[in-house]
Amino acid sequence: MQKKLVRVAIAIVAVAGLVGTAATANAGATGIKGGLKIAIMPKAVNIGYFTAWNKGATKACKEIGARCTYLGPTTATGAAQVQFINQVIQQHYNVLVISAADQNAIVPALNKARAAGITIVTSDADVDPSAAASRVTAILPASSTRIGTAEVDWIAAATGEKGSIAVLSAAATAANQNAWIAAMGPYLTQKYPNMSWVGGTVDKSVFYGNDDATTSTQQFDAILAQYPKVAGIISPTTVGVLAAAQEKKAKSATVAITGLGLPSQMAPYITDGTVLKVGLWNPIDLGYVAVYAAAEAASGTFKGTTGSSFYAGNTKATKKTYTVTAGGITYLGDPFTFDKSNIATFAAIY
Amino acid sequence: MKIILSRLVAVREVPVFLALLLVLIVTGIANPQFVSASGAQDIFLGVAVIATLCVGQTFVITMRHIDLSVGSTAGFTAYMIGKVSGDHHGLGISLLVALAIGLLVGAVNGFLVAYLRLPSLVVTLASLWIVRGIFNQVAGGNTITDNQVPSALGYLGRHSFAYIPYIFIIAFALVLFASFIMHSSRPARDLYAMGSNPPASELAGIPVIKRTFFAFLASGAVSGLGGAILLARFHSADSNSGLGLELNVIAACVVGGVAVAGGVGTPYGALIGALLLQSITQALGALGVSQFWQLAVNGVLLISAISLDRYLTLRIKPTRILRVKS
Amino acid sequence: MKRAIFGWDKGILVFLVLTTIVGSFVTPYFANASNFSFVIQDIGEFMLMAIPMTFLIIAGEIDLSIGSTICLSSAALGYSYRQGIPFWLCLVIALVVGLLCGLINGILVTYFGLQSLAVTIGTLALYRGLCFVLLGNQPVNQMPLSYTDLGSNSIPHTFLPYVTILIFIFGAMGWIALHYSRLGRWTFAVGINVEAAKFSGIPVMRLKLALFAMTGLMAGVAGIVYTFRFASASPDGATGYELSVIASVLFGGVSIAGGVGTMWGVLAAVLELGVIRSVLQLINVSANTLLVVSGGLLLLSVAVPRAIEISRSRRKLVSIEKKG
Repeated sequence: MQKKLVRVAIAIVAVAGLVGTAATANAGATGIKGGLKIAIMPKAVNIGYFTAWNKGATKACKEIGARCTYLGPTTATGAAQVQFINQVIQQHYNVLVISAADQNAIVPALNKARAAGITIVTSDADVDPSAAASRVTAILPASSTRIGTAEVDWIAAATGEKGSIAVLSAAATAANQNAWIAAMGPYLTQKYPNMSWVGGTVDKSVFYGNDDATTSTQQFDAILAQYPKVAGIISPTTVGVLAAAQEKKAKSATVAITGLGLPSQMAPYITDGTVLKVGLWNPIDLGYVAVYAAAEAASGTFKGTTGSSFYAGNTKATKKTYTVTAGGITYLGDPFTFDKSNIATFAAIY
Repeated sequence: MKIILSRLVAVREVPVFLALLLVLIVTGIANPQFVSASGAQDIFLGVAVIATLCVGQTFVITMRHIDLSVGSTAGFTAYMIGKVSGDHHGLGISLLVALAIGLLVGAVNGFLVAYLRLPSLVVTLASLWIVRGIFNQVAGGNTITDNQVPSALGYLGRHSFAYIPYIFIIAFALVLFASFIMHSSRPARDLYAMGSNPPASELAGIPVIKRTFFAFLASGAVSGLGGAILLARFHSADSNSGLGLELNVIAACVVGGVAVAGGVGTPYGALIGALLLQSITQALGALGVSQFWQLAVNGVLLISAISLDRYLTLRIKPTRILRVKS
Repeated sequence: MKRAIFGWDKGILVFLVLTTIVGSFVTPYFANASNFSFVIQDIGEFMLMAIPMTFLIIAGEIDLSIGSTICLSSAALGYSYRQGIPFWLCLVIALVVGLLCGLINGILVTYFGLQSLAVTIGTLALYRGLCFVLLGNQPVNQMPLSYTDLGSNSIPHTFLPYVTILIFIFGAMGWIALHYSRLGRWTFAVGINVEAAKFSGIPVMRLKLALFAMTGLMAGVAGIVYTFRFASASPDGATGYELSVIASVLFGGVSIAGGVGTMWGVLAAVLELGVIRSVLQLINVSANTLLVVSGGLLLLSVAVPRAIEISRSRRKLVSIEKKG
């Protein structure tokens, strides 16, 4: 069994080598080294959002003639991800594009990878700001402020700009969600004086669904039980907003729901009116741009310092330039919103 | 009066039931919504899946075995029903799929534990991982969404009969049925003997291997059914479905009087245990306990429930021996 | 001292050597200092926890709360450091917290008479809950590098990570204690037959209490190792560790029924699982397949000795019949 695997592996390497040499001829022109070995590592494989993320990454890999592998743990923990970071080191990858399952726990492993000469770019979820040096840049959709405030705007539209609001989040330790929630608090108070948080402050109004369907559903019920007059629930996580929509429909509740939702999952609830509007960036773009950034960094044309820029796209029509902002973060742009008018189109994409 | 009380407490399930009442009353005073129709509905909805799985687990635990694979099996079944139904097959075929998967896992577990006499903790821990691994591979990153749920199943998950959710009625019916067979049918009563004294039960002529095999088969089938209820409840399934359910099921059984040492306990006791634990979880929310304290408090209450059950068992033991049933 | 059924523990050692050799040939990425160093680091906490868990399972008990205890020790360490307590004292606090958790488990099992399987499900929730109480949603990450580097670096001039020292010390202590001391003899006796042990004068309750306390203390040590390795303390650390540790111990030939097992079998089993995982990963086996393989190996570890036992008893029957 293992011998067979070895033979298959040799065959793959041989073919890849041929493809690589062909690509090198191409890639020289665009400034990216050809034949780069790139590892694409999600928080966990088996999550639909990251399957879309990988779609974008794979597309970019083909364009630049790199060999890409999608690998990662089955549970989204830092300890599990570290095992796969080591695999990347041992198998002599050139580049690692990673969505950090834990913003602190993977940092020592990332530093080891860097010491081994691997170029690292985080995408979708970054490491802790204090560890910014461990990666070249972070490709994030939009700043936490913009994502958080956008969600407040969506819920305000759904509730007629009045009423009390609760938040159904992911895990208590989820760094992304915590940052977005922190931005929601002052914005709501400032822009929508007729709206409030169910618990007084935003911190007291957050319920943790742990990105688990059962827990998120129970927390939705808990919100309704504790605050029967709640007007709207923001769920800045795809698992949470799906569970909230499901449970709202099941109980024929009147609370408004919005948040970050995958269009393919939320389509039934938007079509039947349970949910007015959700938003999300395109994870395909996140993966796509991250690969270009990492490949250019590995080729020496992009340093990742604040103010430096890189491009993504291999034709004149698709080529776009991105600039690094403070903290080494590159933003892609505001999230898209999905409602009845465009849900069908987007549901087919991701 | 004292005799009546002591006889009452001697029934193993009464203390758990009293604890349940206590939680409901205390929380209901603080937050009346908790004991309203919708509050009760939430508890019934939340407990349906676990109550179903408890039925199978009771068979297994009374025999002094354990089945850790129930969560993976239920999750896998939930996903497969959605997958098969999503390709335009009806409820009937979907349920067949559920039972098929459940029976297959149960049969493998049963064969290894009953015929090869391998320890059930090891076997079902292994099948927990193997089923989850296969499940992950089959499901990948896909999610079963609302429109892939068979409409009959979806209806059951979202509607109630006289304020009691259909899925709870189904679980309750299963519990009643299982309790009946464990009380009156000979093969099921043998499970108690096997759990109390394995060597003696063998000498007494009980077909231990057959009974053990069927108990695991039943646990597997029940897990399959639990998967159907899981899908009905949440209208979604993905490779994380059912993760960690087994520990909740075991906890509910233990609290409900189904001792891990074997030989005692009934499915309706396990149901009350499940209701108690679910009520506690939801009560903490209804009482406004901080999110960061809920898990710790839950743990303390679980330990207390287990201790209480044990304490009362010790106290009433002499009385039990005197109550001879014909 | 009782040996594992039909030398499964010797089988594990052979298996270990075999997989290491085969692994070196099957992939060029396996047999090098950097990878070996990582494998040892990867299994460090599991190795440390397998030692006390061996004692517990041989004595007929189990502890499902060890993952939560590791997390709580780590959280206590981080929390103390955040309050400004000198780092070395934080380490002591981590150990004390672990010990307390173990003692609570022990008291619940011995003096309250509760089933360890059930009650440690409760303490699993309680201890992890306390992690959230301590840290909320703010992991601790700015810890002195001079300490946390011990979690990443190797002993100078070798490929061995620093945790190897702990593994050697505790591994040796565990081995000697289990097989050559009174504690070990009592542990086996209690596992084989509790009643008989009681009647022969063994203080069963105190013994079990000590074993649980030992488990808690080792969880404290593992918690420190964990904190250093990940240079952070978070309330969701070490989730799921308990089942992996128990599986490793069982894979090492310790019987879940109690009374049987060897320390070298367990130590070899933990290392073996790390090696298998490394080899399979490096030949690009997916994470899902790794799960299935783990389950399969666990099954093998009980099925193979059983198969041998069945065939031996059949041969015995045949030879008895032949004799006449």
